[in-house]
Amino acid sequence: MRASTGHILTSHAGSLPRPDALIEAWGKNDERALTQQLNAAVTEVVRRQKELGIDVPGDGEYGKSMPHSVNYGAWWRYSFLRLGGLDMGGLGLYELPARRSRPGEVVLTSFADRRDRTRFAAAYADPQSGITTGPRPANHPVCVGPLTYTGHAAIAADIARFKAALAAAGVEEGFMTAIAPASASRIGNTYYKTEEELLYACAEAMREEYRAILDAGLVLQLDDPGIAENWDQINPAPSVEEYQKFTMVRVEALNHAIRGLPQDRIRFHLCWGSWHGPHTTDIAMRDIVEVMLAINAQAYSFEAGNARHEHEWKVWQDVKLPDGKIILPGVVSHATNVVEHPELVAERILRFTNLVGRERVIASTDCGLGGRVHPDIAWAKLEALAQGAVLASRQLWR
Amino acid sequence: MRTSSDHILTSHAGSLPRPDALIEANRAREAGATAGERGYDEVLRQSVAEIVRRQRELGIDVPGDGELGKATTQRINYGPWWRYSFLRMSGLSPGGLTLYELPPRRSGPDEVVLTSFADRRDRTRFAAAYADPASGITTGPRPPSPVCTGPLVYTGQQAIAVDIANFKAALAAAGVTEGFMTAVAPGSAYRIPNTYYKTDEEFLYAWAEALREEYKAILDAGLVLQLDDPAVADNWDMVNPEPSVDAYKKFTMVRVDALNHALRGLPQERIRFHLCWGSWHGPHTTDIAMRDIVEVMLAVNAGAYSFEAGNVRHEHEWRLWEDVKLPDGKLILPGVVSHATNVVEHPELVAERILRFANLVGRERVIASTDCGLGGRIHPDIAWAKLDTLAQGAALASRQLWGRRA
Repeated sequence: MRASTGHILTSHAGSLPRPDALIEAWGKNDERALTQQLNAAVTEVVRRQKELGIDVPGDGEYGKSMPHSVNYGAWWRYSFLRLGGLDMGGLGLYELPARRSRPGEVVLTSFADRRDRTRFAAAYADPQSGITTGPRPANHPVCVGPLTYTGHAAIAADIARFKAALAAAGVEEGFMTAIAPASASRIGNTYYKTEEELLYACAEAMREEYRAILDAGLVLQLDDPGIAENWDQINPAPSVEEYQKFTMVRVEALNHAIRGLPQDRIRFHLCWGSWHGPHTTDIAMRDIVEVMLAINAQAYSFEAGNARHEHEWKVWQDVKLPDGKIILPGVVSHATNVVEHPELVAERILRFTNLVGRERVIASTDCGLGGRVHPDIAWAKLEALAQGAVLASRQLWR
Repeated sequence: MRTSSDHILTSHAGSLPRPDALIEANRAREAGATAGERGYDEVLRQSVAEIVRRQRELGIDVPGDGELGKATTQRINYGPWWRYSFLRMSGLSPGGLTLYELPPRRSGPDEVVLTSFADRRDRTRFAAAYADPASGITTGPRPPSPVCTGPLVYTGQQAIAVDIANFKAALAAAGVTEGFMTAVAPGSAYRIPNTYYKTDEEFLYAWAEALREEYKAILDAGLVLQLDDPAVADNWDMVNPEPSVDAYKKFTMVRVDALNHALRGLPQERIRFHLCWGSWHGPHTTDIAMRDIVEVMLAVNAGAYSFEAGNVRHEHEWRLWEDVKLPDGKLILPGVVSHATNVVEHPELVAERILRFANLVGRERVIASTDCGLGGRIHPDIAWAKLDTLAQGAALASRQLWGRRA
């Protein structure tokens, strides 16, 4: 993985705005037309990132189906199309029954029963509040048979397309996202006897995708908001210790999935859920940072550019980043339409470099920008990110 | 004006979410329900009492009346802070065009003029985002703008008297010693078409003279007067093409002079000034840097200055106080929570922001506030959660600044 040796490198959390033609193509049943759109769009999105000054670009997650311009789900719903053993006719995410946790028994409740959503029910329900996350798919999958990875052709096409785009743009390193087991296993299950069995089945299946990405020489980004945002999906709130225990099971499953794979090309993405809600029930970074660092990745991407988590740079005053590891703090965010001032971006970067060292910080975004903020604003934010990294680099390498 | 003598005081920029009953009463009144006029008065009185009580309960030291007397018939509305003045002035006629439909006006190097709202530079640059109803930039209703067709005379004596009486009664009931009431500044109020006054400047000073009556009423009642004047900053985006900073400062000093004219002889120690870059949820990439207008702002004869510092376009600007001296005896009210995101600021972030300012200008000279009014710009429940976190963050900062006992 490239490190910020001569300047602060820039990257982002993955999703980028899809061109309208691509969104349309995803909605039609024409494989050839879709492939054409994807080829053109991925080439263009890599070129554009390079032009803006993004050092480590992604493919914008374009190969992950997004049927609407406002969409918060492509990063995980794509996995439903690449796993065998699922029945897609389960109840919708918000229609699932609530489940109550008890001391000693932590379980995930339904999306509708999330604690922030419950506390701010009127705001979440108000179409004018700006919290809407786009059309809700009617159904959520249920695992009804052995989970198998069936996405070989899809990931091969994603990789070929992205590598061609990187070569065309003359970019040496690019990253591709894939969902982690903890986040992928949040589906119904009638087949596996325990949640842990389901979790490990996800781990084994998704491992194939991870290997494909890494075998191709790309950087693998593991998307695992489940590590942080599950906290809000446990009702009532558990103790921090219980949550850490609950989450370590998921981290171990992830480590199992990436056993033997080249850690120096694996980065991990943590977030608290990208919807535009109040986020008052987000768990503190301090309470999960050790759990995050237990993941066998070389780099860690996390939200640090929104008003709920911006202050958490201070965590690194007390927590030692293990030798050789890198962080990718979010220094611009999807959580506001306002475009971060480059000087603020630089200030945020410097807070981190002052604590962990300039070579160990890559400037990034809180979450994927695609589907979560207007496309033109998303691009302006990447531009501000690159400008801010230049300002910070000037201070750090003068 | 109270100062943060033993803890960081909290206040906010003015507008708070209107209760649904008040919005309904405003609708009935606008629809001409004269029989409902008395009912309206009672709903307003009760709403003000409740909103002051709630601010106090949350820990807001210097509350306002939430601008509840400035009517809105919609939950989402970014305009009552200045549109209310149209109802308190004679000389205005109903116009046909909204501010967005007015023709654009181009500025030249030696002639700075305000263009239409539709031709604002950020709006032009991000036209697709501003036009997209899913982008979250919408600002609610766009009523036609009035046109000035005769001499401007303040006619709001009754309305402001009611506002003051409601607010003072509410403060007394809640046992609060100091409260603030907002009024629009001439430079922001006069941005409507005019066919009566011969020059822009004449029109501006006519507003200054007329609005002075409202300022006097608020101050005579013993309240703190907050002058709302986003135009000092947000006009920059409304000059197309972008002028030089010097030309803009000259243009803006004319407006500051008019405001100071309106304030002549009034008690500066109870006047605070609110600056902002426009509260709509746009990218704000064409906002002028605070550094370029801070001296202009400080030329306003106020005892305190409120400004945005809690959103990502202006958060870094705390640093300008490393170089700019806040004149002796003056206070600042930086925005440490913002309407610009649904995410509720973490109290520790609020404290961190407060401390940056306190370290530069002194703890006694900082009152923790909001970027802009929260009412109409964000969901009511989120607005209240933001005031809650503001108070919590101020308590954390106070503990650091005065030791554990604060």
